[in-house]
Amino acid sequence: MSELAIDIQGVTKRYEEHVAVRDLSLQVPRGAVYGLLGPNGAGKTTTIRMILDIIAPDDGTITLFGKRHTDAGVLDRIGYLPEERGLYKKMKVRDVLKFLAELKGVPGAEAETRIGTWMERMSLRTPERDWGDKKVDELSRGMQQKVQFIGTLLHDPDLVILDEPFSGLDPINAQALKDTVVDLKARGKTVIFSTHIMDNAEKLCDAVCILANGRKVLDGAVSDVKAAHAGRTVAVAFDGAPTPAVDAVLRNRNLVANMDDQIRYLELELAAGASSGELLQQLMTAGATLQRFERVQPSLHRIFLEKVGATGVEAGMSGHG
Amino acid sequence: MGKLIAIIRREYLERVRTKWFVIATLLGPVMFLLLTALPVFLTAGTKATAESSNITIIDATGADLGPRVVAALSDSAGARATVVVVNANESAAAESTASRAVLARQREGYLVLDSRTMLGTKARYAGRNSTTFRDMNRLGRALDKAVLSQRLERAGIDITTIDSIMRVDVALDKTQLSEQGREQSGAGSRVLGLIVAFLLYTVLIIYGQTVLRSVIEEKATRVAEVVISSVRPEILLAGKIIGIGGVAITQFAVWILGSFWIGSNVVPMIIKSKAIGMSAAAADSVTRSNEVLTSLPTLTVGLVLIPVVFFVLGFIFYSCLYAAVGSTVNSESEAQQAATPVIMLLVLSAVFIQPVAFAPQSTTSVVMSLLPMSAPIVMPMRMSLAAVPAWQLAVSIGGMLVACAAAIWFSARIYRVGLLMYGKRPTLRELFKWLRYS
Repeated sequence: MSELAIDIQGVTKRYEEHVAVRDLSLQVPRGAVYGLLGPNGAGKTTTIRMILDIIAPDDGTITLFGKRHTDAGVLDRIGYLPEERGLYKKMKVRDVLKFLAELKGVPGAEAETRIGTWMERMSLRTPERDWGDKKVDELSRGMQQKVQFIGTLLHDPDLVILDEPFSGLDPINAQALKDTVVDLKARGKTVIFSTHIMDNAEKLCDAVCILANGRKVLDGAVSDVKAAHAGRTVAVAFDGAPTPAVDAVLRNRNLVANMDDQIRYLELELAAGASSGELLQQLMTAGATLQRFERVQPSLHRIFLEKVGATGVEAGMSGHG
Repeated sequence: MGKLIAIIRREYLERVRTKWFVIATLLGPVMFLLLTALPVFLTAGTKATAESSNITIIDATGADLGPRVVAALSDSAGARATVVVVNANESAAAESTASRAVLARQREGYLVLDSRTMLGTKARYAGRNSTTFRDMNRLGRALDKAVLSQRLERAGIDITTIDSIMRVDVALDKTQLSEQGREQSGAGSRVLGLIVAFLLYTVLIIYGQTVLRSVIEEKATRVAEVVISSVRPEILLAGKIIGIGGVAITQFAVWILGSFWIGSNVVPMIIKSKAIGMSAAAADSVTRSNEVLTSLPTLTVGLVLIPVVFFVLGFIFYSCLYAAVGSTVNSESEAQQAATPVIMLLVLSAVFIQPVAFAPQSTTSVVMSLLPMSAPIVMPMRMSLAAVPAWQLAVSIGGMLVACAAAIWFSARIYRVGLLMYGKRPTLRELFKWLRYS
């Protein structure tokens, strides 16, 4: 049994005008919660669709649980929540879910039992009301999203792929999704997230891969990635507004490469060759009244911006994610 | 396999369960009943037939022609004609009395018989129903009969002999001869052929559009992506076409069997009940409209199987094209425009239904029944009208099989690419590129 849930080797997907994914290799260990990060148009959705055999790569191989991803039965072990969600509007909720389960090879009777359990868990069936007999378009948007989650997880997949799962979710459903991911991880399932919202990824993911322009920019465990970029970031807060002298220090490009105002504090990225001690000394000399001066681990967001920069985002015009 | 069945079941059940389907399915045979029984009703049950005897006959012949006309009319039940025997110079006064009776709605009209009638050249009729073809036809025949019987009597022929001579009613039995020696009554098979052709055309249009809408729905609601992350697009397409085709065949079967049942049980019952107490002439007219029904070819396996085979092939061909069109558009409003070429193919075939029905062995008919696009509509009709050589049937079905294979290949490729493409509709050039994507 392979230790890897996903093993992608040298995958490339070309389209008429552009290359969506270029020589991508990445490995996702079993049981990991893995973030696929990148701006719009970085190649996230294309990568996911290739994993799911919706589109075929031009080069490279994809291995899932040690088998070729095109092998029979492999797709039945994956649950997929696409970025653009939708269900058959005129069908009854229970019928839609049963259909989705059958498409994954779950027998009808078994599917019905699981649907009951999930509907209760997601409060779509309460002692007072049962939404299962309603048509999908009679449900609120939030409820439809719940139905879609259930449809993704009904066949108890070993690998769950969520494409921009938090987009359009209300806080309650977002929490429900988060809880579900935690639960999946606890049961040893592998979860892949694609998102461009770094905060979510930072909170939930064990490991990440950052894509830009169809290329891998970096990947690895979140702690490793952060550690690799540590020591260059300082959080500073002052009592009151900084004096002009302090401001001059902050604007010194020899000391500070980048400054990000976080309202309550400033996140500073040290310039090459500068040290945090030197910065502290200069600030003290300028008469700053420090409330906070701390070397911090950079946020994923910070690393992302630093790595991808403005160049990576510019390709956001393509709809292939 | 289980997944394909799940898709077929969904497509089938979600449609068969709708109110629209139940209503349309049950209404089909009712429409057939109306179309066939209504003309019978109208011709059989008309008051005019009985009322047409309620006339005044002004007999100025001086030769008792009037009573003979009454006798001829009263071959049918309920003759209520009265004869007023007058001299030639009293005729005008009698006419004005009679016309008052007509205006007072006591009489339907009056008939004037004079010396010219005796010569067999002329009689005059005035009345409310003077434009009713059937009534005038009947009156005319009664007159002919009366004049003829009088002449025979004058020629010294015995009355009973006259009676037996006059009792003539030849029913023309129409039979069609073909090279194969197959005999069939013309009228019935023409009606059947037309019904089958229009039914095939209607069902192909309706259910082709259903496939189109179904593809667009899955694309627009984005369910498509979830589904094809579980099954290959080809399986989804196949399941969709089989499922919707099953719905069409269900409806088709109910329509055909229901119509045959109504045609063979209900309609004759109505005719029978109407025929009781009906004048002979009226009964005769019913017989003639009934002829179409009774001469319907008996329901044989071949007669049912041929349209079904052509329907299945035609449906695969057209629904593949519709599915391909559906996958390239984003909304139903766009689809109407994009589907125009496909609809044109169907309409073009329908245009030939009438010409083929009236000249099933013409070159046009033969060509149209061999071309894959029109064969599913034209060939079953041609076969019910005329003997079609085996080679033509083979070419027709073979051509359809090839066309279906091409349509499946073409639409599967367009479909799997188009399903995930949103935004601008592809140009023809782009479509050709899609065909080459792996």
